[in-house]
Amino acid sequence: MKLNEINLFRTMVRLRAFDEACIEGVPTFEIHGELHTSIGQEAIGAAMAQSLTPHDAVVSTHRNHYHALAKGVPPRALMAEIFEKETGLCRGRGGHMHPFDPERNFSATGIVGASLPVALGYAYNFKLKGLPYVAVGICGDGATNHGTFHECLNMAAAWGLPLVCLVENNQYAISVRFSDVTATPGIAERAAAYGALGRRVDGTDVEEVVKAFAEVAKHTRKGGGPSLLEATCYRHRGHYEGDHDNYRERAEKQRMRAEMDPIARYRRMLVERGAAEGELDQIVAAAKGEMSAMLADIRKDAMPDPAGAMDHVFAEVV
Amino acid sequence: MTADMAANMRKINASQAVAESLFQEMECDERVVILGEDVGRCGGVFGSSRNLLDRFGPMRVRDTPISEMSFTGMGVGMAMAGLRPVVEIMFVDFIGVCLEQVYNAMAKIPYMSGGRVKMPMVIKTAGGNIGSAAQHSQCLWATFAHLPGMQVVAPSSARDHKGLMAAAIRSDNPVIFIEHKGLLLKQAKEFLNAGDVPAEPFVTPIGKADIVRKGGDITLVTLSASVEYAMEAAAQVAGEGIDVELIDLRSIVPLDVETVAQSAAKTGRLLVVDEDYLSFGLSAEIIVRVLERLGPSSLRQLRRHAVPDVPIPAALSLEEVLVPGPASIARVLREMAAAS
Ligand SMILES: Cc1ncc(C[n+]2csc(CCOP(=O)(O)OP(=O)(O)O)c2C)c(N)n1
Ligand SMILES: [Mg+2]
Repeated sequence: MKLNEINLFRTMVRLRAFDEACIEGVPTFEIHGELHTSIGQEAIGAAMAQSLTPHDAVVSTHRNHYHALAKGVPPRALMAEIFEKETGLCRGRGGHMHPFDPERNFSATGIVGASLPVALGYAYNFKLKGLPYVAVGICGDGATNHGTFHECLNMAAAWGLPLVCLVENNQYAISVRFSDVTATPGIAERAAAYGALGRRVDGTDVEEVVKAFAEVAKHTRKGGGPSLLEATCYRHRGHYEGDHDNYRERAEKQRMRAEMDPIARYRRMLVERGAAEGELDQIVAAAKGEMSAMLADIRKDAMPDPAGAMDHVFAEVV
Repeated sequence: MTADMAANMRKINASQAVAESLFQEMECDERVVILGEDVGRCGGVFGSSRNLLDRFGPMRVRDTPISEMSFTGMGVGMAMAGLRPVVEIMFVDFIGVCLEQVYNAMAKIPYMSGGRVKMPMVIKTAGGNIGSAAQHSQCLWATFAHLPGMQVVAPSSARDHKGLMAAAIRSDNPVIFIEHKGLLLKQAKEFLNAGDVPAEPFVTPIGKADIVRKGGDITLVTLSASVEYAMEAAAQVAGEGIDVELIDLRSIVPLDVETVAQSAAKTGRLLVVDEDYLSFGLSAEIIVRVLERLGPSSLRQLRRHAVPDVPIPAALSLEEVLVPGPASIARVLREMAAAS
């Protein structure tokens, strides 16, 4: 696979700018509930975007914006949904934790551990119809200790289903450290127990994640059965916007944010390879401009009409 | 109440009250163990288990992985082994993940064992609407009440948060203790149904409703955060000459029908306000039980004000028209007063 470095950089920068724009809606009470951003985890979304086809399915989590964008969900509709607008992807009913885009086989859930089973359903459909697509079920490190992780990998392997289990291991489930609730150093090593392909990758080194995701997706797409990719990373912000986050030492956060920032890392790499700082700056400015213009535009959209509050419970009115 | 007890009354908020109750119960009974996600190092996502880890250590205050089915079942085993576990399910919406252990084990084992096995286990969980959309807003108390064998508690005042938690822990029955996120986040001084909280340990008996406001025109029955909304509504309509008697149920299993029926017999009008779903739930149950007691034509008016049968939407413009609040409760009260 030939990498377009600048595109990869731009993808990550746009993802971050998207989440930064969303954050603006929290103190203004335009966004309700716990908004989870993925700042620091851009390389994973960007890598996924490189390998997925329009027909592949992605089922994500409470921390889903990057995955949606990587799957091609229109940014404006996604942001409008996050801002609870009638013009949003789900007419303001779903909100930031529950975006659904059936045309692009994308969905998410706010219930931890509930993404993999749904991804398994997509995988089953692909297998049943003999289609060359994969279903990516995404979960955090915390979700890998949920029963569904075991159950889904077992079924996927037993039946040879095209499930790619992508684990974003940011080392924390809210305040609970991965190492406090798991005896093994990582998660990828579990793959062998199911008969799945397992890989672990530094999830803040974007080119490495691109390669690793491409490898596991190819394996699964070609009928090799399920795969498990563990991408290590660090959550740069609180679990949700407004989280006091006093369960992580300040020194740890500072060090990890510096060491595990996929965008800063890639920027340094590209500059070493000869990229012009000015060009990279321009990409950053353009992404910020794009997302803040999008937000300004969305702010003019209508809120859902209360008269429709009971619509969509059933397919047709009963 | 003794004089020195009165001296030890404080205004604290609901999450402090719960944490204090847990602390004191754990102090005086070493069989009490709390487990759940984020209950330890961060003291609970709403602070309602603060200070416990430092005092009691990780064997009694256990941060769990996100493995609800197994740690709820573990609670069942711990109770059978002689401990008194408090299992936290962070949001009540997540109960789906472990409902098997709740209704097939926790709720049924005392009966299946012919009364030989006791189940001194508490599930502590947060429900209620604060703008968190379909998967993080439900109350679900009626769901638990429908399952035979569970006691279902949902406190409103800070004082009751403390006293009812102590009662739940000391009970030999399985109890689900449903906090309301809006109350957990509310400051002590913002409570209308204030009631100072004694510093000493005390028990509020489970199953006795509280008449929060006396009145002669309409009996309004509710629980949890809706008690606060109803107090606001009752104060609003009082100026218009509508005198509401407000009852805080505190628990729905056991259900204090006696108190409700007595009040309804006096006012002739019964309104049930419920933040849980409308159909097959608390509101119908209360009305039927009151009519069973007083006779089918004993009351002039019966009204239910609950979340119509729809998942909670993300947009606040939609949530506001679905979830009972002070304004909508006041509207219903006015309609009832005007009707007869
Ligand atoms: C079944 C269930 N239990 C608990 C929660 C509350 N909760 C939301 S996110 C989260 C932590 C998830 O950690 P992880 O899977 O590592 O994802 P991360 O937030 O780190 O991306 C928890 C406990 C939930 N939403 N669903
Ligand atoms: Mg995590």
